[in-house]
Amino acid sequence: MKKLLLLFSIFSACICRAQDTPLVIHMKVLQGLQFDVVRFQVKPGAKVKIIFSNTDDMNHNLLIVKPGTREAVVNLAQELGAQGPSVDYIPASANVLWSLPVVEPEQEKTLEFTAPLQEGIYPYVCTYPGHGLIMYGAMYVKQDAHLPDITDDGNIPPGRRQSDVSLEEDETHHASHHGHGTRALHPYTPVPPYHYRVFIAGASPAAIAVSLPDSLSYCWDAGECKLRFAWKGGFLDNSDLWKGKGDALAKVQGAVFFNGASAYPFTFKGVAPVASYKGYRLVARYPEFHYTVNGAHVYELIKPAAGGNGIVRHFRVTGHTKDVVFYAPPQEGLRYESSAGKWEEDKLLLTALQAREFSITITVL
Amino acid sequence: MKHGLLLLGWLFAAWPASAQSYAVETIPMPEGLTAETGAIEFMPDGRLIACFTRGEVMIYAPRTKKWQLFAEGLHDPLGMLVISNREVLVMQRPELTRLKDTDDDGMADVYEKVTDGFGLSGNYHEFNYGPVKDKQGNLYIALNASSPNGAMRPEVRGVIKKEGRDSTDGRKQMFAAVPYRGWIMKLTPAGKLVPYAMGFRSPNGIGFDLAGNLFATDNQGDWIGTSPLLHVQEGRFYGHPASLVWKKGWTKGSPFVLPPATLDSMRTKPVVLFPHGIMANSPTQPLCDITRGKFGPFAGQLLIGEMNQARIVRVMLEEVGGALQGACIPFLDGQGLRKGNNRLAFAPDGSLYVGQNSHGWLGDEGIQRIVYTGKPPLDIYKMQITPKGFDLVFTQPVDVASARNPASYSMRQYNYNYHKKYGSHQMNLDSVAIRQVLVSPDHKRVSIVLQQMKAGYVYELKLKNIQTTAGQPLQNNLICYTANRLPGETAPVLKRPAFAKKDIEEGKLLITKSDCRTCHRPNEKLVGPSYADIARKYQPTEANVNQIAQKIIKGGSGVWGQIPMAPHANIPLADTRKIARYILSL
Repeated sequence: MKKLLLLFSIFSACICRAQDTPLVIHMKVLQGLQFDVVRFQVKPGAKVKIIFSNTDDMNHNLLIVKPGTREAVVNLAQELGAQGPSVDYIPASANVLWSLPVVEPEQEKTLEFTAPLQEGIYPYVCTYPGHGLIMYGAMYVKQDAHLPDITDDGNIPPGRRQSDVSLEEDETHHASHHGHGTRALHPYTPVPPYHYRVFIAGASPAAIAVSLPDSLSYCWDAGECKLRFAWKGGFLDNSDLWKGKGDALAKVQGAVFFNGASAYPFTFKGVAPVASYKGYRLVARYPEFHYTVNGAHVYELIKPAAGGNGIVRHFRVTGHTKDVVFYAPPQEGLRYESSAGKWEEDKLLLTALQAREFSITITVL
Repeated sequence: MKHGLLLLGWLFAAWPASAQSYAVETIPMPEGLTAETGAIEFMPDGRLIACFTRGEVMIYAPRTKKWQLFAEGLHDPLGMLVISNREVLVMQRPELTRLKDTDDDGMADVYEKVTDGFGLSGNYHEFNYGPVKDKQGNLYIALNASSPNGAMRPEVRGVIKKEGRDSTDGRKQMFAAVPYRGWIMKLTPAGKLVPYAMGFRSPNGIGFDLAGNLFATDNQGDWIGTSPLLHVQEGRFYGHPASLVWKKGWTKGSPFVLPPATLDSMRTKPVVLFPHGIMANSPTQPLCDITRGKFGPFAGQLLIGEMNQARIVRVMLEEVGGALQGACIPFLDGQGLRKGNNRLAFAPDGSLYVGQNSHGWLGDEGIQRIVYTGKPPLDIYKMQITPKGFDLVFTQPVDVASARNPASYSMRQYNYNYHKKYGSHQMNLDSVAIRQVLVSPDHKRVSIVLQQMKAGYVYELKLKNIQTTAGQPLQNNLICYTANRLPGETAPVLKRPAFAKKDIEEGKLLITKSDCRTCHRPNEKLVGPSYADIARKYQPTEANVNQIAQKIIKGGSGVWGQIPMAPHANIPLADTRKIARYILSL
């Protein structure tokens, strides 16, 4: 969105040039059926050049229509019915001033015209079936560059009426986590422990993020069958992930204190580990992950450590006869303790019997 | 718009709104829910279960109109199969998951992986659909191709094949760089996930008809001129090249550089095309009307959701030249249905629930319910191809004067390009002159004779002034028939999916030891048809295996001519089945 604001200022600069230098608008398409430039201003009689580059994955056209006629033109386009495709969904109407036929994804077409001498707000709109209801913007033809406050500009789609300040807030302020403030995330208030399967940086695409009591959270990777990282603070901001097509990652809201080592942590002595994910069960709402390592069943349940300054990983292992080696490479500011076994540098050695049930506590120092 | 309103006003004056055949009502959604509906199904106890984009799975009791939470935290669930009142399978991005309430507190406590045997690059477009279940207990899931508008993540699941991505000319296309993107997969009852059919781009919706045929829709885009309905059969390729790299034994490198003509010769064509901007822009789930009349006169036909328009599309199919093809017609236009019609499910009372979603494209949110009022509509029940044109069968007798007037009909023909460009214009667009219109004695069938007819075209028919003698107007005046073949043509012979190899070999052995050879040969017609001809006539389905097995035992005549076939009551049924499998495998 910052880019958009920058574009506005460039347009303002352009307007100061001589009349025969056209105002050039680089128009692209945002996710969710939106022109990226949602409004611009041009002087009456000035030359305008709209370079429309379809950056979306759907076809779009672009019509500039007489003031106040956007909805009527959209309805006419809808009524074209079976004739629509052969005329690029552009209805024959005196209200249509200029138009670009259908532009395919990745295609670019240019529209050049001279702005009307009559001041006014000239809508531009995509009249592809269904799109016209939300995919539009406003060309302000007027001498001065003053535009109404964007938050109450009725000439642009409701979803785009956001002030600069609130955009900044969207990008940096996460107090209410998921973006737009007051709207509830779910029809209930999630109380830790609870979890989301999400796309998140630092894990495979099959990640599970869990919010624990005491402002603790962790990411367990169902692709790798291991704990990837843990953090303290807020939980996740899923606002981008849940918006539109979901081409985004969930954002961690806190400070990461634990990073899973790159090597697989859980090994039966002398055997290269092969892990397979099975699922999880909620035990008093805490997920207990179930996976196999070389055929043995491993159950892992993670809870906050006493006092809330770390986590405890509870393991149960069944169907094995071999001793277990658990790698826990040292990390600055962390202390590892185990309920059983013996430490040899960064390895915890457990007999087959000890490995049936043990826990590892990770404490933030 | 004014004309439209005037016309509508006139129609209502002649035929009151209270005579509507369907009523649309809106289901109240829980407060605080972003009701982007990923899937809806009914549980055995009659409650509706639905899942939503933010990962909630919720249950709605139509009787009390109350919602309750069943599970949470799923990743963009877009498909569901009910197992019992306490257990469902949900298709989410990373896996097919079993949700089960084992402690009977109304909430799922088990989230068990059923299968994750497919790749994930983390690309946003890797949506997954299904599962649907066949009569043998196999499950089918559909996996989207990945979008060039999004990225691959640094960490992916599955091996990467670079040649599954983009062509060398720089034009970006949907890709399948990790396993089985763009495939429909079969999960056997034993839990093995098997690649089933390929060439899909965005198959947002799969479903069976009553005969056990599996269908999928796909969305207009690269290699897909207009959105299609596909009849999904094992081992076949449906047009989008990316997924070909995951075909067993694929050695041709990047499928994107193959000549379009080569790809075209490999593909199985859609059974129905939804003309873009006319019928549907983003079709979703095909649902067979299983209500035996509770939902009106269209039992056995397919209803298909549409995202971009306030519409459901109805599809009627017939077998022509050994393959299915048919027509599509709007359903429920202008009756209060919203857009974003993503998922459909029939309630036990025969009403249709529709779950809506936009998911960043176009559409509304929420759930609506459609009830058949019991007042029969005047509509086109089915459209059938004839050697000279088309027959329309109406749900009620029509007024003869307007029905036999050729001016009541206008026909156009066009087709679509198969190419890497996004979508296709209508190609070879032409109007088709109507030579003659005949009305059957019961006034329910209208035969339209055309001046000319060609295979490989969509025939788009517009009707006007058709009504019952009582003045009830025709509900929908537009219907599009996809004429892949004309009657009398035989379907192109494709390599058929085989039955179990052991059965086929045993069948072949049995046939050589029997007296079959007196009248039949594999490839030439003797007294009876050749085995190859039988195989061309009947699809290799278990239903046909049984039919042929019975025929061998009982004998008979009429199908291939008047010379009777002798009964073979001495051959055990199990053996005749093997023989039938061998014949149909040819």
